[in-house]
Amino acid sequence: MQTNYSRQSHHQLGWTGRITARVIRHLQQAIGSLGDLWRTPFTSVMTVLVLGISLTLPATLHLFVKNTEAVTQQWQSASEITLFLKLSTSEQAAQNLVQRIALYPEVENVVYISAQQALAEFKVNSGFGQALEYLTQNPLPATILVTPNQRFSQTQAAHELLLKLEQERNVEQGKLDLEWLTRLEAMAALIEDVVIAIAVLLCLSVVLIIGNTIRLAILNQKDAIAVMKLVGATDSFIQRPFLYAGVWYGVLGGFVASLCVAILANYLSGALRQLTDLYQSQFTLAGLSLAEMLLLQLTAIALGLLGSYISVRQHIRAIEPTAD
Amino acid sequence: MIQFNNVSKTYPGGFLALKNVSFSIAPGEMAFLTGHSGAGKSTLLKLMSMMEKPSAGSIEINGTELATIQYQQIPYVRRGIGMIFQNHNLLLDRTVFDNVALPLIIEGYSHKETRKRVEAALDKVHLSSKLKCFPYMLSGGEQQRVGIARAIVNKPPILLADEPTGNLDPKLSLDIIRLFEEFNDMGVSVLIATHDLGLIARMKYRTLTLKQGHMITDGVVDGLKAGATDAN
Repeated sequence: MQTNYSRQSHHQLGWTGRITARVIRHLQQAIGSLGDLWRTPFTSVMTVLVLGISLTLPATLHLFVKNTEAVTQQWQSASEITLFLKLSTSEQAAQNLVQRIALYPEVENVVYISAQQALAEFKVNSGFGQALEYLTQNPLPATILVTPNQRFSQTQAAHELLLKLEQERNVEQGKLDLEWLTRLEAMAALIEDVVIAIAVLLCLSVVLIIGNTIRLAILNQKDAIAVMKLVGATDSFIQRPFLYAGVWYGVLGGFVASLCVAILANYLSGALRQLTDLYQSQFTLAGLSLAEMLLLQLTAIALGLLGSYISVRQHIRAIEPTAD
Repeated sequence: MIQFNNVSKTYPGGFLALKNVSFSIAPGEMAFLTGHSGAGKSTLLKLMSMMEKPSAGSIEINGTELATIQYQQIPYVRRGIGMIFQNHNLLLDRTVFDNVALPLIIEGYSHKETRKRVEAALDKVHLSSKLKCFPYMLSGGEQQRVGIARAIVNKPPILLADEPTGNLDPKLSLDIIRLFEEFNDMGVSVLIATHDLGLIARMKYRTLTLKQGHMITDGVVDGLKAGATDAN
Protein backbone atom coordinates (compact mmCIF):
# COMPACT_ATOMS: atom_id res chain seq x y z
CA MET A 1 0.00 0.00 0.00
CA GLN A 2 1.44 3.34 -1.07
CA THR A 3 1.39 6.02 1.57
CA ASN A 4 1.19 9.65 0.52
CA TYR A 5 3.68 11.48 2.65
CA SER A 6 3.22 14.90 1.16
CA ARG A 7 1.75 17.14 3.82
CA GLN A 8 1.16 14.07 5.99
CA SER A 9 0.36 15.03 9.55
CA HIS A 10 -0.59 12.85 12.45
CA HIS A 11 -2.36 15.42 14.52
CA GLN A 12 -6.08 15.88 14.56
CA LEU A 13 -6.41 19.65 14.17
CA GLY A 14 -9.12 21.28 12.05
CA TRP A 15 -8.13 23.80 9.39
CA THR A 16 -8.63 26.74 11.76
CA GLY A 17 -6.51 24.98 14.34
CA ARG A 18 -3.84 24.30 11.74
CA ILE A 19 -3.80 27.94 10.63
CA THR A 20 -3.63 29.11 14.25
CA ALA A 21 -0.83 26.65 14.98
CA ARG A 22 1.01 27.83 11.87
CA VAL A 23 0.65 31.51 12.83
CA ILE A 24 1.82 30.75 16.36
CA ARG A 25 4.78 28.80 14.97
CA HIS A 26 5.72 31.72 12.69
CA LEU A 27 5.49 34.12 15.63
CA GLN A 28 7.59 31.81 17.77
CA GLN A 29 10.21 31.53 15.04
CA ALA A 30 10.17 35.30 14.43
CA ILE A 31 10.61 36.06 18.14
CA GLY A 32 13.12 33.23 18.45
CA SER A 33 15.24 34.69 15.64
CA LEU A 34 15.16 38.08 17.37
CA GLY A 35 16.40 36.27 20.48
CA ASP A 36 19.21 34.75 18.41
CA LEU A 37 20.27 38.26 17.33
CA TRP A 38 20.14 39.36 20.96
CA ARG A 39 22.41 36.47 21.97
CA THR A 40 25.08 37.61 19.48
CA PRO A 41 25.03 41.37 20.21
CA PHE A 42 28.35 42.33 18.63
CA THR A 43 27.68 40.67 15.28
CA SER A 44 24.08 41.90 15.25
CA VAL A 45 24.92 45.51 16.08
CA MET A 46 27.73 45.61 13.52
CA THR A 47 25.48 44.18 10.80
CA VAL A 48 22.65 46.57 11.64
CA LEU A 49 25.04 49.55 11.61
CA VAL A 50 26.58 48.53 8.30
CA LEU A 51 23.12 48.17 6.82
CA GLY A 52 21.94 51.46 8.32
CA ILE A 53 24.97 53.47 7.21
CA SER A 54 24.93 51.88 3.76
CA LEU A 55 21.35 53.04 3.32
CA THR A 56 22.02 56.45 4.86
CA LEU A 57 24.28 57.50 1.98
CA PRO A 58 21.78 57.00 -0.88
CA ALA A 59 18.97 58.34 1.30
CA THR A 60 20.98 61.50 2.01
CA LEU A 61 21.86 61.90 -1.65
CA HIS A 62 18.19 61.48 -2.43
CA LEU A 63 17.49 64.33 -0.03
CA PHE A 64 20.06 66.44 -1.87
CA VAL A 65 18.43 65.73 -5.24
CA LYS A 66 14.98 66.35 -3.80
CA ASN A 67 16.00 69.73 -2.37
CA THR A 68 17.85 70.68 -5.56
CA GLU A 69 14.71 69.93 -7.53
CA ALA A 70 12.71 72.06 -5.11
CA VAL A 71 15.10 74.95 -5.63
CA THR A 72 15.08 74.72 -9.43
CA GLN A 73 11.30 74.41 -9.28
CA GLN A 74 11.17 77.73 -7.46
CA TRP A 75 13.42 79.37 -10.04
CA GLN A 76 11.53 77.86 -12.91
CA SER A 77 8.27 79.14 -11.53
CA ALA A 78 9.71 82.63 -11.46
CA SER A 79 10.87 82.43 -15.06
CA GLU A 80 9.46 84.96 -17.51
CA ILE A 81 9.32 85.34 -21.23
CA THR A 82 10.23 88.78 -22.49
CA LEU A 83 8.68 89.84 -25.81
CA PHE A 84 10.21 92.83 -27.55
CA LEU A 85 7.70 94.40 -29.93
CA LYS A 86 8.51 95.91 -33.30
CA LEU A 87 9.26 99.63 -33.16
CA SER A 88 6.48 100.24 -35.64
CA THR A 89 3.84 98.71 -33.32
CA SER A 90 1.20 101.21 -32.34
CA GLU A 91 0.03 101.55 -28.75
CA GLN A 92 -3.38 100.19 -29.72
CA ALA A 93 -1.90 97.14 -31.47
CA ALA A 94 0.30 96.50 -28.43
CA GLN A 95 -2.69 96.63 -26.08
CA ASN A 96 -4.59 94.24 -28.36
CA LEU A 97 -1.65 91.87 -28.29
CA VAL A 98 -1.50 92.02 -24.49
CA GLN A 99 -5.19 91.16 -24.29
CA ARG A 100 -4.76 88.30 -26.74
CA ILE A 101 -1.75 86.85 -24.89
CA ALA A 102 -3.59 87.13 -21.58
CA LEU A 103 -6.17 84.74 -23.03
CA TYR A 104 -3.54 82.03 -23.72
CA PRO A 105 -4.24 79.01 -21.46
CA GLU A 106 -0.48 78.64 -20.89
CA VAL A 107 -0.16 82.14 -19.49
CA GLU A 108 -0.44 83.12 -15.85
CA ASN A 109 0.23 86.82 -16.05
CA VAL A 110 1.03 89.53 -18.62
CA VAL A 111 2.68 92.88 -17.91
CA TYR A 112 2.96 95.52 -20.61
CA ILE A 113 5.81 98.02 -20.51
CA SER A 114 5.40 100.74 -23.10
CA ALA A 115 8.39 102.21 -24.92
CA GLN A 116 8.04 105.41 -22.86
CA GLN A 117 7.99 103.48 -19.58
CA ALA A 118 11.00 101.49 -20.67
CA LEU A 119 12.93 104.64 -21.48
CA ALA A 120 11.97 106.25 -18.18
CA GLU A 121 13.13 103.16 -16.28
CA PHE A 122 16.34 103.05 -18.29
CA LYS A 123 17.01 106.72 -17.49
CA VAL A 124 16.66 106.05 -13.80
CA ASN A 125 18.52 102.77 -13.63
CA SER A 126 21.29 103.22 -16.22
CA GLY A 127 22.79 106.47 -14.98
CA PHE A 128 22.75 107.85 -18.54
CA GLY A 129 19.79 110.11 -17.84
CA GLN A 130 21.47 113.28 -19.10
CA ALA A 131 22.83 111.65 -22.24
CA LEU A 132 19.50 110.19 -23.18
CA GLU A 133 18.03 113.69 -23.32
CA TYR A 134 19.92 114.19 -26.59
CA LEU A 135 18.16 111.32 -28.40
CA THR A 136 15.68 112.50 -30.99
CA GLN A 137 13.56 109.38 -30.77
CA ASN A 138 13.06 106.55 -28.26
CA PRO A 139 15.26 103.59 -29.32
CA LEU A 140 13.62 101.16 -26.90
CA PRO A 141 10.76 98.94 -28.02
CA ALA A 142 7.61 98.29 -26.06
CA THR A 143 7.96 95.09 -24.03
CA ILE A 144 5.57 92.43 -22.80
CA LEU A 145 6.56 90.30 -19.80
CA VAL A 146 4.75 86.96 -19.93
CA THR A 147 4.68 84.67 -16.92
CA PRO A 148 3.75 81.10 -17.89
CA ASN A 149 1.55 79.14 -15.55
CA GLN A 150 3.02 76.34 -13.41
CA ARG A 151 2.56 73.70 -16.07
CA PHE A 152 4.35 75.69 -18.75
CA SER A 153 7.15 77.01 -16.61
CA GLN A 154 9.23 73.88 -17.24
CA THR A 155 12.08 74.46 -19.65
CA GLN A 156 10.69 72.51 -22.59
CA ALA A 157 7.13 73.80 -22.27
CA ALA A 158 8.35 77.38 -21.79
CA HIS A 159 10.40 77.07 -24.98
CA GLU A 160 7.35 75.88 -26.87
CA LEU A 161 5.35 78.82 -25.54
CA LEU A 162 8.13 81.21 -26.58
CA LEU A 163 8.05 79.87 -30.14
CA LYS A 164 4.28 80.28 -30.19
CA LEU A 165 4.48 83.86 -28.92
CA GLU A 166 7.17 84.72 -31.45
CA GLN A 167 4.64 83.89 -34.17
CA GLU A 168 2.59 86.94 -33.14
CA ARG A 169 2.70 89.60 -35.84
CA ASN A 170 4.02 92.50 -33.76
CA VAL A 171 6.67 90.56 -31.89
CA GLU A 172 10.19 91.36 -33.02
CA GLN A 173 12.00 89.00 -30.68
CA GLY A 174 11.30 86.81 -27.69
CA LYS A 175 13.71 85.91 -24.93
CA LEU A 176 13.69 83.10 -22.44
CA ASP A 177 16.91 82.94 -20.50
CA LEU A 178 16.80 79.40 -19.26
CA GLU A 179 20.10 78.04 -20.48
CA TRP A 180 21.64 78.22 -17.05
CA LEU A 181 18.58 76.47 -15.71
CA THR A 182 18.93 73.76 -18.34
CA ARG A 183 22.50 73.27 -17.26
CA LEU A 184 21.49 73.10 -13.66
CA GLU A 185 18.81 70.58 -14.52
CA ALA A 186 21.33 68.50 -16.46
CA MET A 187 23.64 68.56 -13.45
CA ALA A 188 20.80 67.57 -11.16
CA ALA A 189 19.91 64.72 -13.54
CA LEU A 190 23.55 63.62 -13.54
CA ILE A 191 23.65 63.69 -9.76
CA GLU A 192 20.40 61.73 -9.70
CA ASP A 193 21.94 59.08 -11.95
CA VAL A 194 25.01 58.96 -9.74
CA VAL A 195 22.75 58.59 -6.71
CA ILE A 196 20.93 55.70 -8.36
CA ALA A 197 24.21 54.00 -9.30
CA ILE A 198 25.59 54.45 -5.77
CA ALA A 199 22.29 53.27 -4.26
CA VAL A 200 22.31 50.13 -6.42
CA LEU A 201 25.90 49.36 -5.44
CA LEU A 202 25.24 49.97 -1.76
CA CYS A 203 22.06 47.89 -1.86
CA LEU A 204 24.05 45.10 -3.48
CA SER A 205 26.66 45.35 -0.73
CA VAL A 206 23.87 45.24 1.88
CA VAL A 207 22.51 42.05 0.31
CA LEU A 208 25.99 40.52 0.34
CA ILE A 209 26.65 41.58 3.94
CA ILE A 210 23.35 40.17 5.18
CA GLY A 211 23.87 37.05 3.08
CA ASN A 212 27.29 36.51 4.60
CA THR A 213 26.05 37.12 8.15
CA ILE A 214 23.25 34.61 7.64
CA ARG A 215 25.70 32.17 6.05
CA LEU A 216 27.86 32.30 9.17
CA ALA A 217 24.78 31.82 11.36
CA ILE A 218 23.78 28.78 9.30
CA LEU A 219 27.27 27.29 9.55
CA ASN A 220 27.23 27.92 13.31
CA GLN A 221 24.08 25.84 13.55
CA LYS A 222 25.08 23.22 11.04
CA ASP A 223 24.78 20.34 13.52
CA ALA A 224 21.39 21.49 14.79
CA ILE A 225 20.16 21.82 11.20
CA ALA A 226 21.33 18.28 10.43
CA VAL A 227 19.45 16.96 13.49
CA MET A 228 16.31 18.86 12.48
CA LYS A 229 16.49 17.33 9.02
CA LEU A 230 16.85 13.89 10.56
CA VAL A 231 13.67 14.28 12.57
CA GLY A 232 11.73 15.43 9.54
CA ALA A 233 12.09 19.19 9.32
CA THR A 234 11.51 20.63 5.86
CA ASP A 235 13.94 23.16 4.42
CA SER A 236 11.30 25.87 4.72
CA PHE A 237 10.87 25.15 8.44
CA ILE A 238 14.64 25.31 8.99
CA GLN A 239 15.19 28.42 6.89
CA ARG A 240 12.36 30.45 8.43
CA PRO A 241 14.28 31.72 11.50
CA PHE A 242 17.13 32.82 9.23
CA LEU A 243 14.71 34.66 6.94
CA TYR A 244 13.19 36.36 9.96
CA ALA A 245 16.72 37.31 11.08
CA GLY A 246 17.17 39.00 7.68
CA VAL A 247 13.90 40.86 8.20
CA TRP A 248 14.98 41.98 11.69
CA TYR A 249 18.29 43.22 10.30
CA GLY A 250 16.27 45.16 7.71
CA VAL A 251 13.88 46.63 10.29
CA LEU A 252 16.70 47.74 12.60
CA GLY A 253 18.98 48.86 9.73
CA GLY A 254 16.16 50.88 8.18
CA PHE A 255 15.50 52.55 11.51
CA VAL A 256 19.19 53.42 11.90
CA ALA A 257 19.24 54.84 8.34
CA SER A 258 16.14 57.00 9.01
CA LEU A 259 17.69 58.23 12.23
CA CYS A 260 21.02 59.04 10.55
CA VAL A 261 19.30 60.92 7.71
CA ALA A 262 17.21 62.92 10.18
CA ILE A 263 20.31 63.84 12.20
CA LEU A 264 22.24 64.78 9.04
CA ALA A 265 19.34 66.86 7.69
CA ASN A 266 19.02 68.66 10.99
CA TYR A 267 22.75 69.31 11.11
CA LEU A 268 22.91 70.57 7.50
CA SER A 269 19.78 72.69 7.75
CA GLY A 270 21.49 74.88 10.39
CA ALA A 271 24.43 75.58 8.11
CA LEU A 272 22.12 76.03 5.13
CA ARG A 273 19.96 78.52 7.00
CA GLN A 274 23.02 80.71 7.62
CA LEU A 275 23.85 80.58 3.92
CA THR A 276 20.33 81.31 2.67
CA ASP A 277 19.96 84.17 5.14
CA LEU A 278 22.85 85.88 3.35
CA TYR A 279 20.82 85.76 0.12
CA GLN A 280 17.53 86.69 1.81
CA SER A 281 16.13 83.39 0.63
CA GLN A 282 13.26 81.56 2.30
CA PHE A 283 14.60 78.15 1.33
CA THR A 284 14.44 75.48 4.04
CA LEU A 285 15.91 71.98 3.77
CA ALA A 286 13.22 69.34 3.40
CA GLY A 287 13.79 66.11 5.32
CA LEU A 288 12.41 62.68 4.50
CA SER A 289 8.64 62.54 4.33
CA LEU A 290 6.72 59.81 6.15
CA ALA A 291 6.19 57.97 2.85
CA GLU A 292 9.91 58.19 2.08
CA MET A 293 10.80 56.89 5.53
CA LEU A 294 8.37 54.04 5.03
CA LEU A 295 9.92 53.32 1.63
CA LEU A 296 13.40 53.36 3.20
CA GLN A 297 12.20 50.95 5.87
CA LEU A 298 10.59 48.63 3.32
CA THR A 299 13.71 48.76 1.15
CA ALA A 300 15.85 47.81 4.13
CA ILE A 301 13.52 44.92 4.99
CA ALA A 302 13.43 43.75 1.37
CA LEU A 303 17.24 43.84 1.17
CA GLY A 304 17.57 41.96 4.47
CA LEU A 305 15.10 39.36 3.31
CA LEU A 306 16.76 39.03 -0.10
CA GLY A 307 20.24 38.62 1.44
CA SER A 308 19.05 35.97 3.87
CA TYR A 309 16.94 34.21 1.21
CA ILE A 310 19.91 33.89 -1.14
CA SER A 311 22.00 32.56 1.72
CA VAL A 312 19.50 30.00 3.02
CA ARG A 313 18.72 28.75 -0.48
CA GLN A 314 22.38 28.14 -1.07
CA HIS A 315 23.46 26.71 2.27
CA ILE A 316 20.57 24.95 4.02
CA ARG A 317 19.97 22.47 1.25
CA ALA A 318 23.67 21.66 1.23
CA ILE A 319 23.61 20.56 4.87
CA GLU A 320 22.73 16.90 5.06
CA PRO A 321 22.47 14.80 8.21
CA THR A 322 25.14 12.25 8.94
CA ALA A 323 24.97 9.26 11.23
CA ASP A 324 28.34 10.14 12.82
CA MET B 1 7.07 -1.89 6.38
CA ILE B 2 10.79 -2.10 5.45
CA GLN B 3 11.64 -3.84 2.20
CA PHE B 4 15.10 -4.10 0.64
CA ASN B 5 15.32 -5.67 -2.82
CA ASN B 6 18.81 -6.40 -4.20
CA VAL B 7 20.16 -3.16 -2.82
CA SER B 8 23.76 -2.26 -3.57
CA LYS B 9 25.68 0.80 -2.56
CA THR B 10 28.99 1.87 -4.03
CA TYR B 11 30.59 5.03 -2.68
CA PRO B 12 32.49 7.46 -4.90
CA GLY B 13 35.94 5.99 -5.29
CA GLY B 14 34.54 2.53 -5.87
CA PHE B 15 34.16 1.22 -2.30
CA LEU B 16 31.38 -1.36 -2.31
CA ALA B 17 29.50 -0.97 0.98
CA LEU B 18 26.49 -3.19 0.20
CA LYS B 19 26.03 -5.86 -2.42
CA ASN B 20 22.61 -7.24 -3.42
CA VAL B 21 21.10 -7.01 0.04
CA SER B 22 17.49 -8.18 0.31
CA PHE B 23 15.35 -8.48 3.42
CA SER B 24 12.10 -7.23 4.87
CA ILE B 25 10.97 -6.23 8.33
CA ALA B 26 7.26 -6.77 8.92
CA PRO B 27 5.04 -4.34 10.84
CA GLY B 28 5.50 -4.89 14.57
CA GLU B 29 8.69 -6.93 14.12
CA MET B 30 11.89 -6.40 16.10
CA ALA B 31 15.27 -7.35 14.69
CA PHE B 32 18.97 -6.80 15.20
CA LEU B 33 21.47 -5.86 12.52
CA THR B 34 25.02 -6.86 13.25
CA GLY B 35 28.42 -7.20 11.68
CA HIS B 36 31.95 -5.88 12.10
CA SER B 37 32.95 -2.31 11.51
CA GLY B 38 32.81 -1.68 7.77
CA ALA B 39 30.35 -4.53 7.22
CA GLY B 40 27.71 -2.11 5.93
CA LYS B 41 25.43 -1.61 8.98
CA SER B 42 25.68 2.17 8.97
CA THR B 43 25.29 2.33 5.19
CA LEU B 44 22.11 0.26 5.47
CA LEU B 45 20.68 2.62 8.10
CA LYS B 46 21.74 5.66 6.07
CA LEU B 47 19.89 4.26 3.08
CA MET B 48 16.76 3.75 5.19
CA SER B 49 16.91 7.27 6.58
CA MET B 50 17.70 8.70 3.14
CA MET B 51 21.09 10.07 4.06
CA GLU B 52 22.39 8.05 1.11
CA LYS B 53 20.89 6.81 -2.12
CA PRO B 54 21.28 3.21 -3.28
CA SER B 55 23.42 2.57 -6.34
CA ALA B 56 21.11 -0.29 -7.35
CA GLY B 57 18.00 -2.07 -6.12
CA SER B 58 14.92 -0.69 -4.41
CA ILE B 59 14.00 0.26 -0.85
CA GLU B 60 10.46 0.59 0.39
CA ILE B 61 9.67 2.24 3.73
CA ASN B 62 6.13 2.46 5.07
CA GLY B 63 4.86 1.74 1.57
CA THR B 64 6.93 4.43 -0.13
CA GLU B 65 9.51 3.50 -2.75
CA LEU B 66 12.45 5.69 -1.81
CA ALA B 67 13.93 5.78 -5.30
CA THR B 68 10.89 7.62 -6.62
CA ILE B 69 10.49 10.33 -4.00
CA GLN B 70 11.64 13.89 -4.55
CA TYR B 71 13.90 15.92 -2.29
CA GLN B 72 10.92 17.87 -0.88
CA GLN B 73 9.21 14.64 0.22
CA ILE B 74 12.17 13.28 2.21
CA PRO B 75 11.23 15.08 5.49
CA TYR B 76 7.73 13.58 5.37
CA VAL B 77 9.14 10.06 4.96
CA ARG B 78 11.61 10.66 7.78
CA ARG B 79 8.74 11.61 10.08
CA GLY B 80 7.60 8.01 9.83
CA ILE B 81 10.93 6.75 11.14
CA GLY B 82 12.22 7.29 14.67
CA MET B 83 16.00 7.41 14.60
CA ILE B 84 18.31 6.82 17.55
CA PHE B 85 22.05 7.29 17.43
CA GLN B 86 25.00 6.29 19.54
CA ASN B 87 25.98 9.93 20.00
CA HIS B 88 22.34 10.87 20.72
CA ASN B 89 22.33 13.84 18.28
CA LEU B 90 20.65 16.13 20.81
CA LEU B 91 20.56 19.91 20.47
CA LEU B 92 22.84 21.00 23.29
CA ASP B 93 21.44 24.51 23.63
CA ARG B 94 17.88 23.28 24.17
CA THR B 95 16.25 21.69 27.17
CA VAL B 96 15.16 18.07 27.32
CA PHE B 97 11.59 19.24 26.72
CA ASP B 98 12.56 21.23 23.63
CA ASN B 99 14.64 18.35 22.25
CA VAL B 100 11.82 15.86 22.62
CA ALA B 101 9.23 18.34 21.36
CA LEU B 102 11.19 19.06 18.16
CA PRO B 103 9.46 16.47 15.88
CA LEU B 104 6.05 17.64 17.12
CA ILE B 105 6.86 21.33 16.58
CA ILE B 106 8.08 20.47 13.08
CA GLU B 107 4.82 18.66 12.37
CA GLY B 108 2.77 21.56 13.67
CA TYR B 109 1.17 20.08 16.75
CA SER B 110 -0.59 22.46 19.10
CA HIS B 111 1.26 23.56 22.22
CA LYS B 112 -1.13 21.64 24.43
CA GLU B 113 -0.80 18.41 22.46
CA THR B 114 2.97 18.82 22.28
CA ARG B 115 3.25 19.19 26.05
CA LYS B 116 1.02 16.17 26.61
CA ARG B 117 2.99 13.96 24.25
CA VAL B 118 6.42 15.09 25.45
CA GLU B 119 5.47 14.42 29.05
CA ALA B 120 4.14 10.99 28.10
CA ALA B 121 7.31 10.16 26.12
CA LEU B 122 9.60 11.30 28.94
CA ASP B 123 7.52 9.35 31.42
CA LYS B 124 8.00 6.28 29.25
CA VAL B 125 11.80 6.63 29.44
CA HIS B 126 11.65 7.59 33.16
CA LEU B 127 12.92 11.12 32.65
CA SER B 128 9.89 13.15 33.73
CA SER B 129 11.95 14.96 36.33
CA LYS B 130 14.54 16.12 33.76
CA LEU B 131 12.15 18.18 31.66
CA LYS B 132 13.99 21.46 32.12
CA CYS B 133 17.53 20.07 32.11
CA PHE B 134 19.98 20.66 29.29
CA PRO B 135 21.64 17.61 27.71
CA TYR B 136 25.04 18.40 29.26
CA MET B 137 23.43 18.02 32.69
CA LEU B 138 22.53 14.39 31.97
CA SER B 139 24.48 11.13 32.04
CA GLY B 140 25.15 9.18 28.84
CA GLY B 141 22.30 6.77 29.57
CA GLU B 142 19.90 9.62 30.26
CA GLN B 143 20.92 11.38 27.06
CA GLN B 144 20.28 8.17 25.16
CA ARG B 145 16.82 7.93 26.71
CA VAL B 146 16.11 11.53 25.70
CA GLY B 147 17.07 10.51 22.15
CA ILE B 148 14.66 7.58 22.39
CA ALA B 149 11.88 9.81 23.73
CA ARG B 150 12.41 12.15 20.78
CA ALA B 151 12.34 9.21 18.38
CA ILE B 152 9.02 7.87 19.67
CA VAL B 153 7.22 11.09 20.59
CA ASN B 154 5.37 11.37 17.28
CA LYS B 155 4.57 7.65 17.33
CA PRO B 156 6.40 6.58 14.15
CA PRO B 157 5.70 3.07 12.86
CA ILE B 158 9.45 2.35 12.56
CA LEU B 159 12.32 2.77 14.99
CA LEU B 160 15.91 2.58 13.73
CA ALA B 161 18.69 2.53 16.30
CA ASP B 162 22.36 2.78 15.41
CA GLU B 163 24.51 1.38 18.22
CA PRO B 164 22.10 2.69 20.87
CA THR B 165 23.98 0.94 23.68
CA GLY B 166 27.47 1.66 22.39
CA ASN B 167 28.59 3.86 25.27
CA LEU B 168 26.48 2.29 28.01
CA ASP B 169 27.24 -0.32 30.64
CA PRO B 170 25.50 -3.75 30.36
CA LYS B 171 22.78 -2.86 32.89
CA LEU B 172 21.86 0.38 31.07
CA SER B 173 22.12 -1.38 27.72
CA LEU B 174 19.57 -3.93 28.82
CA ASP B 175 17.27 -1.17 30.12
CA ILE B 176 17.42 0.54 26.73
CA ILE B 177 16.66 -2.70 24.89
CA ARG B 178 13.74 -3.32 27.27
CA LEU B 179 12.41 0.09 26.24
CA PHE B 180 12.60 -0.92 22.58
CA GLU B 181 10.73 -4.10 23.44
CA GLU B 182 7.97 -2.04 25.04
CA PHE B 183 7.60 0.04 21.88
CA ASN B 184 7.69 -3.13 19.81
CA ASP B 185 4.88 -4.54 21.96
CA MET B 186 2.85 -1.49 20.93
CA GLY B 187 3.26 -2.45 17.26
CA VAL B 188 6.34 -0.42 16.32
CA SER B 189 8.84 -2.11 13.99
CA VAL B 190 12.30 -1.91 15.53
CA LEU B 191 15.66 -2.44 13.83
CA ILE B 192 18.71 -2.16 16.08
CA ALA B 193 22.18 -2.04 14.60
CA THR B 194 24.74 -3.24 17.12
CA HIS B 195 27.92 -5.23 17.40
CA ASP B 196 27.14 -6.14 21.01
CA LEU B 197 26.89 -9.89 20.43
CA GLY B 198 26.25 -10.60 24.10
CA LEU B 199 23.18 -8.43 23.97
CA ILE B 200 21.94 -10.13 20.80
CA ALA B 201 22.49 -13.52 22.37
CA ARG B 202 20.41 -12.61 25.40
CA MET B 203 17.48 -11.18 23.42
CA LYS B 204 16.86 -14.03 20.93
CA TYR B 205 15.39 -11.84 18.20
CA ARG B 206 15.79 -12.15 14.47
CA THR B 207 19.29 -11.06 13.54
CA LEU B 208 20.55 -9.84 10.18
CA THR B 209 24.30 -10.26 9.84
CA LEU B 210 26.34 -8.31 7.35
CA LYS B 211 29.86 -9.07 6.25
CA GLN B 212 31.74 -6.94 3.74
CA GLY B 213 28.48 -5.64 2.33
CA HIS B 214 26.81 -9.04 1.99
CA MET B 215 23.92 -10.35 4.08
CA ILE B 216 25.36 -13.61 5.39
CA THR B 217 22.72 -14.69 7.91
CA ASP B 218 19.10 -13.76 8.53
CA GLY B 219 17.15 -15.47 11.30
CA VAL B 220 16.83 -16.13 15.00
CA VAL B 221 20.23 -17.49 15.82
CA ASP B 222 22.45 -17.80 18.81
CA GLY B 223 24.01 -14.34 18.87
CA LEU B 224 27.35 -15.42 20.26
CA LYS B 225 27.68 -18.17 17.73
CA ALA B 226 26.63 -15.95 14.87
CA GLY B 227 29.08 -13.33 15.96
CA ALA B 228 31.84 -15.86 16.25
CA THR B 229 31.07 -17.15 12.78
CA ASP B 230 30.90 -13.64 11.44
CA ALA B 231 34.15 -12.68 13.04
CA ASN B 232 36.05 -15.42 11.33
